Amino acid sequence: MSSSKIQVRGQPLLRVPARNHRMTHLVVCGVSTKRHHREINALSSNSGPSLDSVPTRTDKRQFLRGDGNGKFGRFGGKFVPETLMSRLIELEDEFNFVRCDHEFQEELTTALRDYVGRETPLYFAERLTEHYKNIVPTIEGGPEIYLKREDLSHCGSHKINNALAQAMISRRLGCSRVVAATGAGQHGVATAAACAKLSLECTVFMGAADIEKQSFNVLSMKLLGAQVISVEGTFKDASSEAIRNWVENLYTTYYLSGTVVGPHPCPIIVREFQSVIGKETRRQAKQLWGGKPDVLVACVGSGSNALGLFHEFVGDEDVRLVGVEAAGLGLDSGKHSATLALGDVGVYHGSMSYLLQDGQGQILKPHSVGVGLEYPGVGPEISFMKETGRAEFYTATDEEAIQACMRLSRLEGIIPALEASHALAFLDKLVPTLRDGAKVVVNCSGRGDKDLDTLIQRGMPSSFC
Amino acid sequence: MATASTAATFRPSSVSASSELTHLRSPSKLPKFTPLPSARSRSSSSFSVSCTIAKDPAVVMADSEKIKAAGSDPTMWQRPDSFGRFGKFGGKYVPETLMHALSELETAFYSLATDEDFQRELAEILKDYVGRESPLYFAERLTEHYRRENGEGPLIYLKREDLNHTGAHKINNAVAQALLAKRLGKKRIIAETGAGQHGVATATVCARFGLQCIIYMGAQDMERQALNVFRMRLLGAEVRGVHSGTATLKDATSEAIRDWVTNVETTHYILGSVAGPHPYPMMVRDFHAVIGKETRKQAMEKWGGKPDVLVACVGGGSNAMGLFHEFVDDTEVRMIGVEAAGFGLDSGKHAATLTKGDVGVLHGAMSYLLQDDDGQIIEPHSISAGLDYPGVGPEHSFLKDVGRAEYFSVTDEEALEAFKRVSRLEGIIPALETSHALAHLEKLCPTLPDGARVVLNFSGRGDKDVQTAIKYLEV
Repeated sequence: MSSSKIQVRGQPLLRVPARNHRMTHLVVCGVSTKRHHREINALSSNSGPSLDSVPTRTDKRQFLRGDGNGKFGRFGGKFVPETLMSRLIELEDEFNFVRCDHEFQEELTTALRDYVGRETPLYFAERLTEHYKNIVPTIEGGPEIYLKREDLSHCGSHKINNALAQAMISRRLGCSRVVAATGAGQHGVATAAACAKLSLECTVFMGAADIEKQSFNVLSMKLLGAQVISVEGTFKDASSEAIRNWVENLYTTYYLSGTVVGPHPCPIIVREFQSVIGKETRRQAKQLWGGKPDVLVACVGSGSNALGLFHEFVGDEDVRLVGVEAAGLGLDSGKHSATLALGDVGVYHGSMSYLLQDGQGQILKPHSVGVGLEYPGVGPEISFMKETGRAEFYTATDEEAIQACMRLSRLEGIIPALEASHALAFLDKLVPTLRDGAKVVVNCSGRGDKDLDTLIQRGMPSSFC
Repeated sequence: MATASTAATFRPSSVSASSELTHLRSPSKLPKFTPLPSARSRSSSSFSVSCTIAKDPAVVMADSEKIKAAGSDPTMWQRPDSFGRFGKFGGKYVPETLMHALSELETAFYSLATDEDFQRELAEILKDYVGRESPLYFAERLTEHYRRENGEGPLIYLKREDLNHTGAHKINNAVAQALLAKRLGKKRIIAETGAGQHGVATATVCARFGLQCIIYMGAQDMERQALNVFRMRLLGAEVRGVHSGTATLKDATSEAIRDWVTNVETTHYILGSVAGPHPYPMMVRDFHAVIGKETRKQAMEKWGGKPDVLVACVGGGSNAMGLFHEFVDDTEVRMIGVEAAGFGLDSGKHAATLTKGDVGVLHGAMSYLLQDDDGQIIEPHSISAGLDYPGVGPEHSFLKDVGRAEYFSVTDEEALEAFKRVSRLEGIIPALETSHALAHLEKLCPTLPDGARVVLNFSGRGDKDVQTAIKYLEV
């Protein structure tokens, strides 16, 4: 019914039906894939470089972006069973191809503009800025706070940037079916929407506990034509189940990862498609104040919205990168999702990264009022940024996030998602340390309509009538 | 409450009189005006009225004369004239106490239209806060759905007002009126709301501009729409429950009016649609006209021409006027409004004002409205709260009468089908209001020539309707 254009490389574009088998031995962008495969195989067959050493390179910028094989220092990699290897290689080839393919990029840009509603504004939060001026009296006027409005995207969060692009790739690969796992439901809804638009079958796995908390998102997914399968547990269990389902249906099914975790090439694919956030921010900052941001702040669950904003500025050493994780009920409570603050390095969901594990290496159950931050791991590139000191990571509790949510609602008329509220909460500690006129860009990664039930349950403070 | 001048044939009804009216849930702005017993009784077929405000003599027109008087050249139409009338519709049927506030508003509006600072500030807010311009999106799968067997069919484009901040077109007007209120030095904003959408939009802009916000809502509606009540409070607005009468929208409206009359010096009344007394229909339309202006530009960019057909749902009529206004003078552009037929036009439970209504005065303006033989307002019904209004903006009444726009209607069931269809085909969940416009495509598209370009105003997203829809749909 819909036109699926599958590019067979080396030949002019044909309209071919789905399930067309691709040829993988052709040259991609001038780099022979055969050589590429050898390197990949070398990586997966042994443990790679020593876990204690962080390799140094002469070009710091290049170093900070990781290498092309999915290694970010000692983090990342491709810790997967043999059955998945060829699929991952195929995915990487296709991804590298579409990166250079003019037609794909044009189709994606049009869809991001007309379907998703990009570019999202870089909005000067006048009243929030004023609020901090009043509580932190300074001579000149304190920092200026800008919000990158990913809450205005179709489906209400940044997730669609990646879901749409990957759904386009899945069609190119000849898949008729997409599987995904979702925590808060935002990635599930975005995937369901993208699949509906591109006429792909969609199955979303979601933890039973999450389904209860985010029923609105579950209903939305179903309306969008997706099948929602309940999995006992939370996001991490849903992820495992989704991957299992993918392995069982390897050649008809595409596993659409929502975030920057997983085996190579998943982290860089997701990061690449989210990096439109940072690219726009650079351009908009230039237009608005003729310079760059001084500080970028984003919440960190697994890290996709953070990397989406940060990636563009990794090489700009004068731009501070600040990630905020979920401290839940407090770092000492045992009920949190502060992976970088309290985790240890290990392999989880196919890559090496920080994760919340106990003494026996068993994964701990994370908690946060921002369901999208409830992940016991974190993207390998984020771990790398922490280790190299390129980015700083802090935490905010459930209570602080809720307060920040209410504050932004009252001051700017924007109800942020509870996930994004963690980034906003950290402004309380950050702002007093900044110089006057410092430009702070906070990634408002989603809108909070989905969290109203949670906020209602928490009860209204007495200041509201 | 002061009465109008000596020649009055209408006076505002008191609160006790309005409680005799049947249960209303309309997003009305002012109480309904009922004639004095001595005045000639208004039968549903009579549309001759004498307007106390107007200085022109009463006008009684036969159908054929209407179009001649209006002229077939749209550029000659006064929309509105200096008395706020669109042909014979519109006007300013209000108590004396509000006349000054309305004149002040009108003066302010005209002066701000040419005020560069104001326009620049408004444009910036629409861009950075609301997220404009909204895309004109080519709906590939929907177009495919309407393609006929021989491969021919129209091309469907959706004007994505659902992507605006707060998820509907309403914010365009709310933001502009809040800015206007600030310019007027008013620190206090009031509004009434039925389902809560207009209330939320108003609360949003008041938070943004640091204005005190009071929303009047019927106590019954507050129970049914607890989530929206919470939203408004979260945004810092005070939601005042109204317990008088049937505790629904019309009672909330009366309270809001009472408040405005009492506090008119400090308070601005944010009206949500192109209804009400002049200058509101004109003002609200002009604040939404950005929709049509962008559409013209985007159509030119995309296909180097104009749309062939514009389609929009019509409750009070604001999103439709926002799209249509720009193109009224382009006579080759067809304009189609779609109202709510509820349970069906013959069921008596619908909100198809332009199809089944008669002319009368409601909420300060002359327009079509749903009334019985005794001139009492008939309670409307639609599954979508935003279309559940017994009246319609006067400009729509005018456009219908002169034949410039066509009006159809769609049932609850057809709207739900469209809701489901568009969610599945395009991955965009439409508001139930918008779903009415989308439903009409089923009847419209088979009649259109190959390649005809249809622009449909996707006036809102359907997140707020997911719970309602699930109850009715097999999902």
